[in-house]
Amino acid sequence: MPMNGTRGYHPGLVDLASGQISREIFVNEDIYAQEQERVFARSWLFVGHESQIPNPGDFFASRMGEESVILCRDRAGKVHVFLNSCRHRGMKVCRYDDGNTTVFTCPYHGWSFGTDGALVGVPFFREAYHSELDKSKWSLVEVAQLCCYKGTVWANWDASAPPFLEHLGEFRRFLDLILDGWDGREGQAELLGGVQKWIIPCNWKFPAENFSGDTYHNISHRSVDLVGAGPSGRSRRDYSELNVARKLHVAIPDRGHQTITYVLPKDHQPQPAYQNSPEVAEYFRHCEEERRKRPGANSRMIGAPGEIFPNVALLPRQPRTLAVWHPINAHQTEVWRFFFVDRDAPRVVKNFLRDYYIRYSGPAGMTEQDDMENWNYAHSASRGVIARRYPYTYEMGMGHAVENYEFEGLRVPGRVVDLTKAQASEEPMRNLYRRWAQFMEADSWDDLMTWRHEAARAAE
Amino acid sequence: MSDAVNIRTLAPGTRVILANGAEAEIVSNPNDGVWLFGRYLSSVDDPGVVGVEEMIFAQDVVEVRP
Repeated sequence: MPMNGTRGYHPGLVDLASGQISREIFVNEDIYAQEQERVFARSWLFVGHESQIPNPGDFFASRMGEESVILCRDRAGKVHVFLNSCRHRGMKVCRYDDGNTTVFTCPYHGWSFGTDGALVGVPFFREAYHSELDKSKWSLVEVAQLCCYKGTVWANWDASAPPFLEHLGEFRRFLDLILDGWDGREGQAELLGGVQKWIIPCNWKFPAENFSGDTYHNISHRSVDLVGAGPSGRSRRDYSELNVARKLHVAIPDRGHQTITYVLPKDHQPQPAYQNSPEVAEYFRHCEEERRKRPGANSRMIGAPGEIFPNVALLPRQPRTLAVWHPINAHQTEVWRFFFVDRDAPRVVKNFLRDYYIRYSGPAGMTEQDDMENWNYAHSASRGVIARRYPYTYEMGMGHAVENYEFEGLRVPGRVVDLTKAQASEEPMRNLYRRWAQFMEADSWDDLMTWRHEAARAAE
Repeated sequence: MSDAVNIRTLAPGTRVILANGAEAEIVSNPNDGVWLFGRYLSSVDDPGVVGVEEMIFAQDVVEVRP
């Protein structure tokens, strides 16, 4: 075996021709430092949800990669995302998780910023600065781009990145499955309760890979299935309608997003679900009927675990949640899990779902505990100098993905592997690491927007 | 040096004396313990600021009018 003589990232660590990926990309601290610059400083990152900041002056302290940021609504109602660092000496200007304020005041020397980021208060401005400091040059640092999409707030430090919806591409319909209402109405999601936050001892790519669509690890959740933690007292989710659906892996190759999804046959009728509560079961039966009456492909699609590049996991149904894998260092990740419900759902439904959500996910969730145990021990067992010499295999299902997949008239975008018989593939993971390697190697967003070049060539 | 004034306890409408002798009335208090929003009622140094609303730094507040 060759010795690891090269520090940091280099081409070949992600070898998709052979389906092998070096453990170095998970445990190497030089690679971690490089990916902060090359991935997180120029990617679209999830910051929060507008339902967290409904009123002028509301704020939520969030993160973008390693950076602390402030999501806030200014006095005029405009949404901003700022670096949470005073322009004078760098102290955090906001040390609360959330709240409402007129100003963000630095506790170090007292510089104060409005909710629009403007520097409004400088102690001894006349006396010490002789009124000579140009305050307009020292506002809080604001993200280069911001997008509010159906309530979710996304931000990017890189002005040259494509707009968020272009970055999302055809994956948008899978994000819609979590943001639209259970009955199919657009953008009904609101945050349920607070954000669950905890630290896990593994690289952020372990959970990102898992949520990309790892169906192969279902065996590790066997105990949860046996306990019957699901909302009908069986298994861990209500699966009955999935018995007639096509189970797919979907990967959007030029974007790095991927998911599991289920496509229902035409004219499929809602199946019993949420049977631990007759009232909740009736509510969802009604929603499912309404959803099927709406035009559009999403009435026949059921969302499942997926990943928006680089570090946002979605789970549109049972439980309905977004997770963000915030990198702390090569060996630690801070997980933030946001749970969603329809804003106009009855209180009894929200309470039922709160119980189910936290029984399933989060630091106390039974399923997430299984996952964390796998990621944490996989990481620690891959750090040693011997372990690092041996790559992981991602060969499963290579060459079996198709494009233009269609089931009973419903076309599915991207590269698709039909898992209905195959059960599992590693197409989503290859897609994730292909995009990750592109980010690590590309010097500009121009190199990363391959779809624009293809469109230009097609137009010629 | 006079005792430090805890500006977090000051409600809108309270009048304060500043280090330069000016007098101001509190318009609003962000309760950060560092700043007040106030309107100048008098200023010997700069009569032009009378009526102007400005942020007032905690260390500039030397006295609270009864």
